[in-house]
Amino acid sequence: MKEKFVTLQPWFGLVARLTLGGVLFVAGYLKVGTPDKSQMAVRAYEMLPISVANFLGLILPPIEIVIGALLMVGALTRVMAALGGFTMFVFIIAIAQAWARGLNIDCGCFGGGGAVAPGETKYLQEILRDIGLVFLAAYLIRYPLTKFSLDKNQNRKSSQEEVA
Amino acid sequence: MAQAKNPKDGKDNFTRNLVIAVVIGVVLIMLVPTILSKQTDSSAAVPSSVSVEDGYGMVFNKELQDVPFIEIYEDFQCPACARFEAIVGEYVDDLINTKKAKVAYHPLSFLGPESQLAANAAGCAADEGKFLQFHKLLYANQPAENSGAWNSSYFTTLSLGLGISSKEYDKCVSNNEYKGWVLNVANEGAKRNINSTPTVFINGKEINRDTDYNSLGDFMLAVSKA
Repeated sequence: MKEKFVTLQPWFGLVARLTLGGVLFVAGYLKVGTPDKSQMAVRAYEMLPISVANFLGLILPPIEIVIGALLMVGALTRVMAALGGFTMFVFIIAIAQAWARGLNIDCGCFGGGGAVAPGETKYLQEILRDIGLVFLAAYLIRYPLTKFSLDKNQNRKSSQEEVA
Repeated sequence: MAQAKNPKDGKDNFTRNLVIAVVIGVVLIMLVPTILSKQTDSSAAVPSSVSVEDGYGMVFNKELQDVPFIEIYEDFQCPACARFEAIVGEYVDDLINTKKAKVAYHPLSFLGPESQLAANAAGCAADEGKFLQFHKLLYANQPAENSGAWNSSYFTTLSLGLGISSKEYDKCVSNNEYKGWVLNVANEGAKRNINSTPTVFINGKEINRDTDYNSLGDFMLAVSKA
């Protein structure tokens, strides 16, 4: 059983890396061309002062692209997984507070965002999706050795020690 | 020790350099141009009847004092805005023409490039004294979002129906002459926390989102209470 996990673990890691990285990359890519919309999506959470929200709306898509791209190629997997997981964690808090306060917004995760009609919110799905991604990030932090990653070699030794 | 570390350093360097390259690349290609393009340019040309102190809005009856001040934030590509225009458009035109309200239109462009082009064209039409008519016509001919339908030749053809056929107008549309103004409108909207379109204020207070956007009666009531 344990041996089997040792063999499969880098493949799980690959799936985790491509999923988390892919989601981040696509999310960033879809938003980077429409900064007005992205700023609006951040403002709609009503968590931050307007000027801070507007700034975050500008810088968040490129940050997602960087983390996503580096995760997909497997460069600094552990660091990027930690950053990606942290981002998702913050999103969960933001969505949960919007839900708890009864705001009617779209998470704006993949573009869009802002106010929606009451009853058109999808808070539960959005939070569950992000929780799943946090788990993938946690897995990658624990087992950063993955198939076809750029930093495969330098991690192999430590990763296998961890597994054993 | 140095020897034992050397091969590992090689790998680290590659990854490190790649990370640095990706970060710098994204910052230079995406972040810097975006931030630069979002700077308000107070020297940008504005169409006639734009009021800089009213958030670069297109203001009608600016001189009136004791009337309700209606501010409408919209995006020409937004279907909800087309619906809103269909419901209250004629009434608002009437308020403007009979001088019963001061009205400011803020054409936002958050839905993308064709919103920007449409807002620019609306600014050009304002110079011809046809903003309100063009505004109505745009909503009546709203295509699917960023489908490529709204381009400069579309706008110049569309406005022929309003009797606009001047060379200045065509030039204004095709050169995107009010690009700076459209950007300034968007920035002012962002500063004012406009998170959906349409958003309407009467005397600085947003109208009721549950009722006033969907019914002419409720909207008229909101205006008369102001």
